[in-house]
Amino acid sequence: MAGSLLLEFGIALTVIAVLGAVARRFGQPVIPAYIAAGILVGPYAPTSVAGISLQLVSDSAVIGTVAEVGIILLLFFLGLEFDIGTLVRNRRRLSVVGGIDLVVNAAIGVGVALAFGFGPVGTLLVAGVVYISSSAIVTKSLTDAGWLANPESEVILGTLVVEDLVIAVYLAVVAAVVGGGGDVGGALVTVVQSFVFLAALAGAAHFGTQYVEVVFGADTDELFVLRVVGVAVLVGGVALAVGASEAVAAFFVGTAFSGTDLVGRIENLLVPHRDLFAALFFFSVGLGTDLLVVADVWLLVAVAVVATTAGKLASGYASGRVYGLNERRSARVGLGLVARGEFSLIIATLAATSANPTIRTLVPAFAVGYVIAMSFVGSLAVQYGAALSDAFDAWVGERQSL
Amino acid sequence: MVIYEADVPGVGKRYEVETGDGERAVVIIHHDGKRELFRRADPDADAEKLFDLTAEQSRQLATSLEGTDFQPLDLDDIDVPLGGALMEWVEIPEKSPVAGETMGSVHLGKQTGVTIAAIQRGDETIGSPGADTTLQAGDILVAIGSRSEQNALESLLETGSVEDSD
Repeated sequence: MAGSLLLEFGIALTVIAVLGAVARRFGQPVIPAYIAAGILVGPYAPTSVAGISLQLVSDSAVIGTVAEVGIILLLFFLGLEFDIGTLVRNRRRLSVVGGIDLVVNAAIGVGVALAFGFGPVGTLLVAGVVYISSSAIVTKSLTDAGWLANPESEVILGTLVVEDLVIAVYLAVVAAVVGGGGDVGGALVTVVQSFVFLAALAGAAHFGTQYVEVVFGADTDELFVLRVVGVAVLVGGVALAVGASEAVAAFFVGTAFSGTDLVGRIENLLVPHRDLFAALFFFSVGLGTDLLVVADVWLLVAVAVVATTAGKLASGYASGRVYGLNERRSARVGLGLVARGEFSLIIATLAATSANPTIRTLVPAFAVGYVIAMSFVGSLAVQYGAALSDAFDAWVGERQSL
Repeated sequence: MVIYEADVPGVGKRYEVETGDGERAVVIIHHDGKRELFRRADPDADAEKLFDLTAEQSRQLATSLEGTDFQPLDLDDIDVPLGGALMEWVEIPEKSPVAGETMGSVHLGKQTGVTIAAIQRGDETIGSPGADTTLQAGDILVAIGSRSEQNALESLLETGSVEDSD
């Protein structure tokens, strides 16, 4: 049995590597490629090709646990790189920009979810999935397109910082609500429990920062990696055991390390680990995805793709104007923020643990279809962003001259 | 000169250096150590990527830019700290009128004002040459003196007289 699990694990890594390379070859984001890898060799359709079984990898506890570590490391890095300084220095403009981003995009999510008959919890989840842009895809796209040296990147990345903060609070609430089961009393107990735990953790992270270098500054890289990954996964595991969000717990552990001299060392040593585990997380999302269910929600996906692309374009444009950018660059802020990815999928993973069968099946299926579409749309929006924003600029100019 | 520094959330740091006419050099340093160098022609233009550099390549480039290994200099402006005096290496030309004479007979020190610290003759170095030292064509005189004294010496070696021929 152990032998066949090892074989499955090997197949998983190989398919991830191959599809990831194909995506990179065509300048496309890797996240949908990893999901596709999971769908391809997972238990659901396609189950076979030309009589050869494609049910090669089961949705086992092994992959599930590794995927959890992926989520923890993603959020750990979010906390590590969380730029409280940028937030404080630009608090006035960023609160306006972040407010526009949240209100416009979450409202569209709420509207779409209600129109398709979701209840309150389902609506909360769908709104989260469509609100949050993908830090990974956006940052990668901006780097590839050479936008980092342009003023629009300041607004785009500033918006992402606000979103990081919002998603930490959101996950803390939603994990408790979903984990609390159906009844209000149970939910309330879980919410209180998880908030007490997370508040204690945030306090520990805040006051513990000064001791972090002493405790974790190991002489050898090997011991250093073990200590840092160890504390992140352990705290995440404890959080999950008390009904709190392991992702948010990992975020706070990351903030304890941010601002210390260890950041550079963590970036150098842990990024490859994060990328490996995160790839397995996306793969595991693919494993649990039944394309037939995704096909059932195709209309929801299509409506959400159109409405929320327009939403990010509009909120991004308004944000650019708040920062005093011209029409062309403001349009690019919107284009830059279209991509959705890892956070939407983390919300989907959370939804998959719901006791409510509708939420458990439909929200993750929707999220997968939506993220696959939006990761491509978002990445193409930046690749062709210069041409698109110039066209937009010309169009605005024409209207003004009429 | 103003250097603008900014945090780039999730990426690293950005530095902008004004290079004149509204043009800026933009450097992005990523958390993973990668550097990108951009040129932005004017405040409204899109930054144009010039180079992707590793940390090591960046240090090499910075060393070259800083001029650690090579500083282009105007040789007339070299100052050797000897008070107001300069140290120069002057060769006695092939057809110099002073070749074959002793230093005393041409009153080299008295006429020009320089002090000859040494004479290099092929592989041989004659330290603190005296009035009876014979000068030969091809000798290199290590002369200490002010700029005008050095000019007088060159003139003497060329023409046999300290009066400037021009």
